[in-house]
Amino acid sequence: ENSPAPLPERAIYGFALFLGSWFGFILYLIWAYVPETWLFSLGLTYWPQKYWAVALPVYLLVSVGIGYILLFGINMMSTAPLNSTHTITDNFAKKQQQKKFQEEAIPALRDIPISEVNRMFFLPER
Amino acid sequence: MAEERRFLSASGVPIALRRRQHSASCRELAVRGPRLQLRSLSAATSAVWLAAYGLFALCENSIVLSAAIFITLLGLIIYLHFVKIDQESLLVIGSLGIQVTSAYASGKESTTFIEMGQVKDVVINEAIHMQKVIYYLCILLQDPEDPQAVSEVVPLFQSSKPRLDCLIEVYKSCQEILEQRKTAPQSS
Repeated sequence: ENSPAPLPERAIYGFALFLGSWFGFILYLIWAYVPETWLFSLGLTYWPQKYWAVALPVYLLVSVGIGYILLFGINMMSTAPLNSTHTITDNFAKKQQQKKFQEEAIPALRDIPISEVNRMFFLPER
Repeated sequence: MAEERRFLSASGVPIALRRRQHSASCRELAVRGPRLQLRSLSAATSAVWLAAYGLFALCENSIVLSAAIFITLLGLIIYLHFVKIDQESLLVIGSLGIQVTSAYASGKESTTFIEMGQVKDVVINEAIHMQKVIYYLCILLQDPEDPQAVSEVVPLFQSSKPRLDCLIEVYKSCQEILEQRKTAPQSS
């Protein structure tokens, strides 16, 4: 079964990721700061331009900022408009079956039609 | 018999609800919003003209000023004719139908009529609208094939957006008329 308990495999994955991320970070720092001439003298000539060591983080941060606005916009676009039937009902409510009424038992859970709800709330009890 | 009561809209502007009973099965409910205020009109005009004067000071072309005057006039006419709704009214005639009228500030009126055979019910629904949850009155239209299903939702009072207290008054008035069609003899 799935459980969040620590397991030996998870410890190994975690340590491998830890080492990998430190290695990636040191590699990024070397690429960004060590002068090109030193890298050429070591034989490493085919690395990307250092321009990208600055450009990629900037791209990433701008995407995060745009992502906030984009998520907000997507939420607004997927909200049902006021004239859609999705504000009143949905597929589950349309296909629900009426369960038989049993004496002295709690009634089964069901979706109550909006006309009935309105009558109960807004018309005075007769 | 007519009576008028003051309410607030969802955004806080004062609106007035007028109820008129024409006969036992005919009622008219009209919601009137505030007229175009002089202060907002002068604020908008001054803003546009100041911006145009600033642009004129930059580029020394007097066409900018004439264009600003033209845009202001055209914008005002378009706003009064297509955007600013002064009064929205609902005329419920039992056994005939429901008529929804919107009267614009320029005098234009746009009307929609829904016959009673298509009307399933008039309910107050709540929905999310622009980071707010609002109550709004709507007419539920029924499917010709399946009388239990709702085929369409027609929201009412969209521009004046009354609050729940006003909506309850309109709802009660409409329900009194709609109940009569259940007790009336069915004609197929």
